[in-house]
Amino acid sequence: MKAPDVVVVGGGVIGTAVTYYLAKQGADVLLLERSELGGETSSACDGFVILQSKSPGVHLALALASAELYRNLAAELDWDIEYKNCGGLIVIEREEEMPAMRTFMSKQQAIGLDVRLLSGEEVRRLEPALAPYIAGATYSPQDSQVNPLQVVLGFAQAAARLGARVCQGMPLQTLRRTGARVGAVVAGGEEIPAGAVVLCTGVFTPEILAPLGVDLPIRPRRGQLVVTEPAPPMVRHIFLCARYIAAKYHPELLAAAEDEALRLGVGLALEQTESGGFLIGSTREFVGWDKRTTPGGIREIVRHATRILPALAQLNAIRTFAGLRPYTPDGLPFLGPVPGWENLYLAAGHEGDGIALAPITGRLMAELILTGHTSFPLEDFAVERFSCGKEQGGRLKVTP
Amino acid sequence: MNDDDVIICRCEEITKGEIRRAIQAGATTFKAIKKFTRAGMGLCQGRTCRRLILQILAQETGQTPGQLLPGSYRPPTRPVPLAALKGEKP
Repeated sequence: MKAPDVVVVGGGVIGTAVTYYLAKQGADVLLLERSELGGETSSACDGFVILQSKSPGVHLALALASAELYRNLAAELDWDIEYKNCGGLIVIEREEEMPAMRTFMSKQQAIGLDVRLLSGEEVRRLEPALAPYIAGATYSPQDSQVNPLQVVLGFAQAAARLGARVCQGMPLQTLRRTGARVGAVVAGGEEIPAGAVVLCTGVFTPEILAPLGVDLPIRPRRGQLVVTEPAPPMVRHIFLCARYIAAKYHPELLAAAEDEALRLGVGLALEQTESGGFLIGSTREFVGWDKRTTPGGIREIVRHATRILPALAQLNAIRTFAGLRPYTPDGLPFLGPVPGWENLYLAAGHEGDGIALAPITGRLMAELILTGHTSFPLEDFAVERFSCGKEQGGRLKVTP
Repeated sequence: MNDDDVIICRCEEITKGEIRRAIQAGATTFKAIKKFTRAGMGLCQGRTCRRLILQILAQETGQTPGQLLPGSYRPPTRPVPLAALKGEKP
């Protein structure tokens, strides 16, 4: 096989995005996918390009940059990714959650997000299907939705048109070290010399890095989802609920919530997709590699969703599924070089933000690998940020 | 009638031609065809079309249906009202 400039490992939304942006810059890229494109996390998730859920800071700034790239992505890829700038609502169920949401929102506004607080009456005018008890919502017209599968396929097809080689059914076997570099990648029984290697392997990244002596704190976190039969348009926006957001800043507010739902980390994530079906989630559970759905998890998701949108109870569920999200302790992905290696890079650990952050991740990784510089500072996403300074709270201070 | 116009997945209205094109574009498993085209993702969850798709896939790739993975089956396997899933009578 001809030696590529860059080998990308992993054909999920991040790997295909990285491949596309590298190819767009003229690099010769080889994408190695061990089974099939979007076969794991990227096909077991929602399609939110939601900005309101991002913590106000570098996380939101990155998501804003990514959302900007999504605007023209369908035309750029010449592929229908079902992008819809539908706007998003974070539903506030109880008055007690209002102050936390107000604080959260004003911090987001300061970073440049167009987000405003709506009263119960105002949000029901926007979405009449909402239950009468809903106290209000925050609304952002910038939130959008896409079809994650079509984003993966769109990136892969466009990359292939630009000359990238997309190989499915090619599991990575070994990264062969030559001095401080990856000299070659061994996959499918072949030894492929590579200029640079990017791991876009999500939840599987720690097991690839462990043999190299790199300990990476990505953990699989299960999210269960329910899909309903197609229905006439009932809602126009994508929905989250404030419980998760409030919990981040004021956990005491959750004391009144049901224990089972809390234990499973249930927070509403709901969209009516292009096909008319509802996608309803989700749980947040640490259960190792178990990708099964559970009756208890599905029950709590459905209880929560039908409380907020009572008319959903009339619809039939046709499918349930679960995916493993690549959790990191600070909620930020790892984007950058692997310490101690000259040409090995990581773009992994996006947890539930992989779809939203894929375009900017792809673009920044391409910039980093091809020029050594990025148009967005990546210090906060450094791979080594947890690897030393445990006494100082586990955070490696990179910037002064 | 052109063979390509035959509807294979009735729920999502996916034709034989669309399935063939997905296979030609590299979707060579039932799972991949589903992701490309939405065939098998509708109300019946592939109860009608799964075998037909596997037959087309076998023809196009020169295999026997027995050599192909049938794809996954997800609970609840039949449509169930959400009201029932939350533990109440619909």
